[in-house]
Amino acid sequence: MPFWITAALLTLLACLAVLLPLARRRDGAADGADSDLAVYQDQLAELDRDLARGAIDAAEAGEARAEIGRRILKAAGKADVAGARGNGRAGRIVATLAVLAVPLASWGIYAAIGSPNLPAQPLAARLDRNPAENTVFELVARAERHLAANPEDGRGWEVLAPIYHRIGRFDDAATAWGHAIRLLGSTAAREVALGEAVASAAGGTITPEAKAALERALALEPRNLKARFLMAAALAQEGRGDEAAGAFRAILADLPEASPWRATIAKAISDLEGGPQAGSPGGGSDADAGGLISDKDQAEMIGEMVAGLDRRLRENPGDAAGWQRLVRSYVVLRKPDEAADALARGIDALGAGSEAAAGLREFAAGLGVNAKE
Amino acid sequence: MIVEIGHFSLVLAFALSLVQFAVPLAGTRMGEARLVAVAGPSAVAGFALTALSFAVLTAAYVQSDFSVANVWENSHSAKPLLYKVTGVWGNHEGSMLLWVLILAFFGALVAWFGTNLPASLRANVLVVQGLVGAAFLLFILATSNPFARLDPAPLEGRDLNPILQDIGLALHPPLLYLGYVGFSVCFSFAVAALIEGRIDAAWARWVRPWTLAAWVFLTGGIAMGSYWAYYELGWGGWWFWDPVENASFLPWLSGTALLHSAIVMEKRSALKIWTLLLAILTFSLSLLGTFLVRSGVLTSVHAFATDPARGLFILLILVFFIGGSLSLFALRASTLSQGGLFHPVSREGALVLNNLFLTTAAATVLTGTLYPLLVEAVTGDKISVGAPFFNLTFIPLAVPLLLAVPFGPLLAWKRGDLWAVSQRLHAALGCALLAVALVWFFVDGAGVLAALGIGLAAWLMLGALTDLAVKAGVGKERPAVVWRRLKGLSRSIFGTAAAHFGLGLSVLGIVAVTSLEVERIEVMRPGDTVEIAGYTLRFEGLVPHRGPNFTEEQGRFTYFSGGVRAGEIVSSKRLYTARQMPTTEAGIATRGFSQLYVALGDATANDGVVVRAWWKPQVLLIWIGGLVMMAGGTISLLDRRLRVGAPSRRRARPARSAEAPAE
Repeated sequence: MPFWITAALLTLLACLAVLLPLARRRDGAADGADSDLAVYQDQLAELDRDLARGAIDAAEAGEARAEIGRRILKAAGKADVAGARGNGRAGRIVATLAVLAVPLASWGIYAAIGSPNLPAQPLAARLDRNPAENTVFELVARAERHLAANPEDGRGWEVLAPIYHRIGRFDDAATAWGHAIRLLGSTAAREVALGEAVASAAGGTITPEAKAALERALALEPRNLKARFLMAAALAQEGRGDEAAGAFRAILADLPEASPWRATIAKAISDLEGGPQAGSPGGGSDADAGGLISDKDQAEMIGEMVAGLDRRLRENPGDAAGWQRLVRSYVVLRKPDEAADALARGIDALGAGSEAAAGLREFAAGLGVNAKE
Repeated sequence: MIVEIGHFSLVLAFALSLVQFAVPLAGTRMGEARLVAVAGPSAVAGFALTALSFAVLTAAYVQSDFSVANVWENSHSAKPLLYKVTGVWGNHEGSMLLWVLILAFFGALVAWFGTNLPASLRANVLVVQGLVGAAFLLFILATSNPFARLDPAPLEGRDLNPILQDIGLALHPPLLYLGYVGFSVCFSFAVAALIEGRIDAAWARWVRPWTLAAWVFLTGGIAMGSYWAYYELGWGGWWFWDPVENASFLPWLSGTALLHSAIVMEKRSALKIWTLLLAILTFSLSLLGTFLVRSGVLTSVHAFATDPARGLFILLILVFFIGGSLSLFALRASTLSQGGLFHPVSREGALVLNNLFLTTAAATVLTGTLYPLLVEAVTGDKISVGAPFFNLTFIPLAVPLLLAVPFGPLLAWKRGDLWAVSQRLHAALGCALLAVALVWFFVDGAGVLAALGIGLAAWLMLGALTDLAVKAGVGKERPAVVWRRLKGLSRSIFGTAAAHFGLGLSVLGIVAVTSLEVERIEVMRPGDTVEIAGYTLRFEGLVPHRGPNFTEEQGRFTYFSGGVRAGEIVSSKRLYTARQMPTTEAGIATRGFSQLYVALGDATANDGVVVRAWWKPQVLLIWIGGLVMMAGGTISLLDRRLRVGAPSRRRARPARSAEAPAE
C-alpha cells in the first residue's frame, strides 16, 4: 500500500477516535458521590468478612463500621458535583477544533520533518537487488560478502582493492592487496599498489612496511615509475633531502618530455632545494601516497594510465584481463559511459558469443556496468 | 515506506495526545459530557499509534535498515537477533520512544479499566497523562527523532555499545521504565484530584494498585540493573552509589513511602494530602532520574549521547511538571478535607514513621547525588560524593527503619498496643539474637557488625513470619483452625509478609557479601593455583575464541573443593570488532547462594595475566530478596479488593454479598 494511502487511513482512524465519542449522546457524567458510596459499601462488606474470619473483634468492627457510616453520610450529603451543564455551542466549537486539529497538526508536522519519498532499505533486500541498481558502496558490501565466503578468490581481492583505495578505506585496500599478492603472485603493479595503500593508511607516511613493498616492486621492475617516485618521497620524509632530490632528478631524466609528471617532480625538487624542513614532500597530511600527488594530478596520472591501456587493447584486442581492467578503471574514474563503451568494444573484440566475452560481461555486471543492447 | 509510516504514526500520536489533553479538560470545565468522553478513545488510539511506531522501529532494527540513522548508529548486521531487538531501546532515541510507549500503555489501561471511576476523575487523569505524553512526544520529535533518515544509506552500522550487548538490556530498561512511568499514573491521579479540588474514596482505591504495580516493576528493574552491573562490569560490586543508580533508587524510596501511605489513606482516609504530595514527588523523582540520565549531565554508560539541546528540553519539561504540580498543590491542598484521626502508637503511626524515614533517606540520597552537580555548576570544581557519604548517611537511617518493620503490620489500626506487639515478637527477637551469637562465634572473619547485621536480617524475616503466625492464631488455636485461618487471610497480608521477608533476604545478602567477602589479586601463569575461601582455583590458560561480532581471549579456570574438581570457570576479555572496543566478561561459578567471581586483568610480560578472584558469600540473596519483594507486591496486587478497584455499579449487589460467606 502506498505511503500516502496508509497515512490517510491512519489519520482517518485517529479522527474517528475523537469523533465517535463526540457524536454519541451522553446522559451526563457519572456522579462522583455515587461511586464513593459504592466504595464504602464495599468496605463494609470487607469488614463483615474480616469479622467472620476473626481477623478483628466485634468491638473493633463496630468502631470501624461507625466510621465508615460517618463517611457514607458525608458522601451522601455532598452536592452534585457534575454540576451545571455547559451550553452546547461552545462544546461544538471545541469538538470541531479537536477533530480538525488531528489531521492538520499531524500532516503539518510530518510535512516539515518527514521524508515521505525515501523508501525503507532493509539490508538483505538491498544486497539482493540487480547489481546495476547498486551504488559503489553496495557493490563493495556485496564483494565483501562474496570474499568472506570465498577468501581464496584472488581475482576478487584484486578487483576490490583499488575500489577500497578510491573510497578511502586504505587499511582494507592494503589487506586486499596483500591477499591478491598472496593468491595471484607478486607483480610490480600489485606491490606498488600495496605500498601506496599502506602509506595512505599511515596518513601519507611511507612506513617501513610500505617501503618493503616498493622495494619488492623495484626488484621486479626496476624502472617502475611510481615505485621510484614513492621511494624518492620516502627519502625526503626521512630528511635525506639531497638524496631525494637526486632520486627525483633521475626520474625526471627518464621521463618523456610530454609527461604530466614532470611538473610535479620539478616542484618536489624545488621544494627540497628551497628547504628540507618547510614543505618537505610527503610531510603534509594529504592522505594520498607520498602526499605529493594532488587529487588532480592523481586523476591525470590515472587518466594517462587508462588511456595507455586503451591504446594497448586496440593493438592487442584479445587480452580478456585487459578489457576487464579497462572497464574497472572507467568505473573507478566514475565514467559510466566510457565503461559501457569499453565493455561493448571488449565484447566485440573477444567475439560476442565467446566464453571470454561472457566472463567480461559478468565481471562488468558485478561493477554495475551493463552492455548496451 | 514502512519506516515513514512509523514516523507518521508517531506524529499522529502527538496530535492525539494534544487532543487527549485539551478536549476533556475543556469538557470538565464546561460541563460537556461529550467532550469529556473523548479522553478514553483518544488515549487508546494514541497508544495504538505509538505501538505501531515502536513496532516499525523494531522492524527497521531487525532488517538492518541503515537508512534510519538510529539503526545505523546502534546496530550492525552481524549482531545476534536478540541484540538487534534490544538495541531498539539501547540508545537515547529508542529508549525515549519506549518511555512514551509505556506512558501511552498506562494511559490506555486507565481508559480501559477506569470505566467504574467517576467520569470527571477519569477524564482529568487522562488529561494529565495526555499532557505528559505530549511533552515527551514533542521532545522526541524535536530533538531525538528515532526516524531521522540517511540518504544514501550506509551499508554497515556502527554496532551497539558492547556493554549493552547482554540479556540484561532486554529486561532492565523495560522494567525500570514500567516502574518510572507507572508512577506517572499516580501523579496524574494526584494532579487530577487537585484540579477537581477533592479526593474521593475511589481515588485511594485506584492509586494503591498503580503504586504497587509501578513499585513491583521498579524493584525488578533496579534488582536486574544491579545484577547486570555486577556480572558485566567486572568490578565485582553490585551497587556503586553511582548517580544513575541513585536516580532509579530515589523514586523507589519515595515510591515505597507512597505505597505505605496509600494504605493508610485507603483504609482510614487519613494522610490524604501527604499521599498526594508523595505521588507528585515520586513521579518528579522519576522525571529527575530521566533528566539526569538522558541529558548527559552525568557521564556514564547510561548517557548514550550528550547534547545540550536535549538537556535543556528535558530540564524545561522537568521544571514545568514538577513546578506546575507543586504550585497546584500549594494552591489547592488546603481545600482538601483531612481524614480520620489516629493515636501515635498505631498502624497509621507506624506507617508515618516509615514515611519519615524513607523520605529522609530519599532526601539524603538526593543531596548526595545533586551536590556534586551543583558544586560543579557554581564553582566549576569537580567533586565526587562516593560510597562513604552514602554509607554514613543512608545506613543510620535505614537501620532503625528496618528494626521497626516487624512492628508495623502487627499494630492495630487507630490505636495500637506496643507492649502487646513486643510480646508477640519475643520469639523472633530471641531467634535473631541467637543468630547474632552463632555468627559471631562460629563464622570465621565475622566481626560484631557482621553478626549484628545478620541478626537484623533474621529479625526482619522472622518478624514477617511472626505476622502471618499471629494473624493465623498460632499457639492460640488448634492446627486445623490455624490452617483454615491462614488460608482465609487476605492476599495483601501475604503480600506484606513476603515483601518484608524479601527485604530481610536482601539485607542478609548485603551484610554477608560486604563483611565476609574474600578477594585475591594474583599474577597467574597457566598451571598456577590460588586458594580462596576453601576453594583452589587453577588457571589453565588463555584460549582464543571467535563470537558472532567479537573476538575474545578466554581465560579457563578449574576450581577444586577439598581436592575434588568442582567445576570450570571461563572468564574472558573481548574485543568487539565493529567499535574496536574491549570488554571483560567475568567468570562466575555459583555454589548455593554464594558465587566465585573471576575477572581477567592485563597480561603481564612473562606470559602471565592479572587475575582478580572474589568469594561472594550469599551474594545471590540480594537479588533473590528483590524477586521475593516483587512477588509480595504481585500477591498484594492480586487481592480481590484491589483488583476490582472501585466496585462496578453494573454488578448486582446480591452477587457480591453471596461471595462473602464463602471465605
